Amino acid sequence: MVHDEAVVDETGEAVGRVLGTADATPLQFWTAVAPGSYLQLDDVVVTKRELPGREPVTIAGVVTQVRARHEGAQFDSDVFAIADGTLPALVQEAAEITTTRIDPELYVPPSPGALVRRATGDLRAAALHFDRMEKRVPMGTGRDGLPAYLNADFLDGSRGAHVSISGISGVATKTSFATFLLYSVFRSGVLGGDAINAKALIFNVKGEDLLFLDHPNARLDDATTARYAELGLPATPFPDVRVYAPPRAKDSSGTPDVSSRLAGVDSFYWTLAEFCESRLLPYVFADADDERQQYTMVVHAVTAHLARHAQPADGGIGIDGTRLGSYPDLVDYVVARLTDEETRGTWAGSAVNTGTVNAFARRLIASKKDLARLIRGDLAARRPHAINTAESAQVTVVDLHNLPDRAQRFVVGVTLKAEFERKEKAGSAKPLLFVVLDELNKYAPREGSSPIKEVLLDIAERGRSLGVILIGAQQTASEVERRIVTNSAIRVVGRLDPAEASRPEYGFLPAAQRQRVLLAKPGTMFVSQPDIPVPLCVEFPFPAWATRPSEAGQAPSATLRSIVQSADPFAVVGGRSEDEIPF
Amino acid sequence: MTRLYMDTWAASYGAAFQGGDGPSSPSTAKIETHHEVDTEAWHPIVAPEGVRPPDVVLLVDGVQRVDGTLSTEEDDGASFPGLAASYAAGVVRCDLARGAAELAGAQVARALFTASPSVGDVIAGQVRYAVHKVSGSGELSKLQGSVQGPLTALEVEISATARTDGDLLVVDGPLRGRRHLPRTIGYVKTQQSQYLPPALALVVTALRPWQRSPVFALGTAWGGWSWYMRLPGSSGAPWSGIVRVECSPDLSIEQAVELANLSLVTLPRFASTSYKDPRAPQNLIPIAGLERRLRGLLGDPRLLHRALTLATARLT
Repeated sequence: MVHDEAVVDETGEAVGRVLGTADATPLQFWTAVAPGSYLQLDDVVVTKRELPGREPVTIAGVVTQVRARHEGAQFDSDVFAIADGTLPALVQEAAEITTTRIDPELYVPPSPGALVRRATGDLRAAALHFDRMEKRVPMGTGRDGLPAYLNADFLDGSRGAHVSISGISGVATKTSFATFLLYSVFRSGVLGGDAINAKALIFNVKGEDLLFLDHPNARLDDATTARYAELGLPATPFPDVRVYAPPRAKDSSGTPDVSSRLAGVDSFYWTLAEFCESRLLPYVFADADDERQQYTMVVHAVTAHLARHAQPADGGIGIDGTRLGSYPDLVDYVVARLTDEETRGTWAGSAVNTGTVNAFARRLIASKKDLARLIRGDLAARRPHAINTAESAQVTVVDLHNLPDRAQRFVVGVTLKAEFERKEKAGSAKPLLFVVLDELNKYAPREGSSPIKEVLLDIAERGRSLGVILIGAQQTASEVERRIVTNSAIRVVGRLDPAEASRPEYGFLPAAQRQRVLLAKPGTMFVSQPDIPVPLCVEFPFPAWATRPSEAGQAPSATLRSIVQSADPFAVVGGRSEDEIPF
Repeated sequence: MTRLYMDTWAASYGAAFQGGDGPSSPSTAKIETHHEVDTEAWHPIVAPEGVRPPDVVLLVDGVQRVDGTLSTEEDDGASFPGLAASYAAGVVRCDLARGAAELAGAQVARALFTASPSVGDVIAGQVRYAVHKVSGSGELSKLQGSVQGPLTALEVEISATARTDGDLLVVDGPLRGRRHLPRTIGYVKTQQSQYLPPALALVVTALRPWQRSPVFALGTAWGGWSWYMRLPGSSGAPWSGIVRVECSPDLSIEQAVELANLSLVTLPRFASTSYKDPRAPQNLIPIAGLERRLRGLLGDPRLLHRALTLATARLT
């Protein structure tokens, strides 16, 4: 026996032997559990196979199923005789092992009767491919209480990018896992020097849960701190967070519409001038790029007209000599121009009939109520109001939870478009931008087409090279555009609906795990990454940051700083670079 | 009108008794029936109140199987038949207080039974069949019976290993050479000999489940104290579910009665049901489980047969 084998034999207690009554294959085999030992799901085990004239093959795997049965019983009712103490029977447990690694790569089955040991230390790391990961992000602990890692190469775009998280809302803790993953990426040191400049953009769609990322969690106890320490992470809130919220409805001063977080929230909006100049009109419509819709032609014609003719005027815009001071004014103006026979040609082109114009007008008028608070002509243009992650804090939280559906889509679409275009111009993948977006099925549904979906598809397909990493979450991956799901290198599943779990989108889960996701506890996720053939079951620790107002501890001092104070008081009001004196 | 009863034992095991309505061959053994109650006053007996089954019951049994029949070719041209047999004995420890039945010990042995004076051990694959010389002419039909001796020896050996104080050892079959073991009863499933006179046999057939006959003494060479009892789950035929239990003749009548009462509260709870066991109810549940385990320990018969064939082919 060679020396390193002896070392292998010393590590890991023997827990059983490979079964000979079921087929042992290189990829899956059964192990009889020795009396006095146990194996639970997700335990990592290792066995050895001696080969003539070659070095022995180490076969490592994880437990994907465990069963116990009475041997010696023939009938179901025999269990009573056995429990009564009259029929001798043996309780025998067996565990199904799914191979994760064969080293060296010789695909031979383990021999029945071979000792199976619990893998610990380096053996466990090797079995789960952690030893091959140059950069590894801790993502929680496995069922055995030891850290489980994610290969950062598949997160930062080096070999793959994007994360897709699925699970029932409320139980699956999708957003909590997404924020923990972000925290781990930023704080574990895997990004090295890039961590300082890496940014995250988080859309908060539900409650005010994510508005307290920079507040310590008052319910954090020593046990949780210790769990963070095991993962090599400090148990602290996010250090650098900026929160944006939409302006309050019908409030002319534009104060942010939040109820629980009072300090350190900035409002975001778009001025009418920006709306016209940046051609944001298509984002008002959910299906503006759908080829089946006639009115999309009008959308693009009007967008182009506005971009060409609208002039900034005292907060609002002036167009053809009319000053428009609010979004409803703009809508009314556009609708009036389009219904007028004389001006329709210049606004929408000559080939458009009344029915199409009416379809456009109907949708545009409907948007007045939802978007009036976001597209403003009454607030100072020089007041900082744009969401720009490059100039913002490390983590930018955009609160959408108070907004109606259409407004949420508008904000997400426009913000992502701006960020993506900025990254496109920069042309380099570094620094990375992580985008956390829940309810992806709403923004990128499987059916139909829209400008927002196009942006998300762009991110999914080209974001990897541009350093934009999408961490998308949804209740049902089957309702999300397939190209976005397939482009995600890392797939995460929390508690799933039984009907959903049987869909082909979750084909990466082995049969036993498909059953297990139906009863996954909050905080338990199944993570599939390209490196490891079996999804890992991880439990991530309780957040060290507050997830609701009641948990929030002392607010950090930075939040007291208002964004208004950070604005440059000497900037030229409404200054446009082309207006400057040319010398 | 004559009533008919289907025998609960599967046909391949023979009947629980041989003959029409009871043990067929009248025994010539001397019996004494007056020890517990007067012969004239024989009646079914139920266990007195307060008799509780022991916490631990040990049941011993053995199984045997013929793996192959061989024939030798001696130097002088003569030929002897040989029987390669595997046999195993085991003991089940039924801890009724704890509700756990476990295999307390099992031993497997293999031997080649033959009268051939020259043949050596047969090594078939990984197993060895030790030669067991049989005296006499060694016809094949007699060889089968000669397995019983070593098997009983194995049973005695194994049953001694699991004893604890206050337990009860139930031996499958007559006690024979095991009479010296303490607190031991022999359990006879099939009734071949008619020991009792017809008048007293009527008391036996009148037994109801959980009842026994009075203790009587058997005067044979292997005799001792004995009694009949009926197990629950019998078909209702006169002799169905009737077993004979015996204990050592070295005991006093009081000790024998005590064992008889103990057996009456212990054995019926082990009785098997007909759809699970072809020899119900006499084949006790622990014994059936033990036999299954022991048969498993004997190894795969096809594998052994092939190994024997290979081994003998190599020898010639």
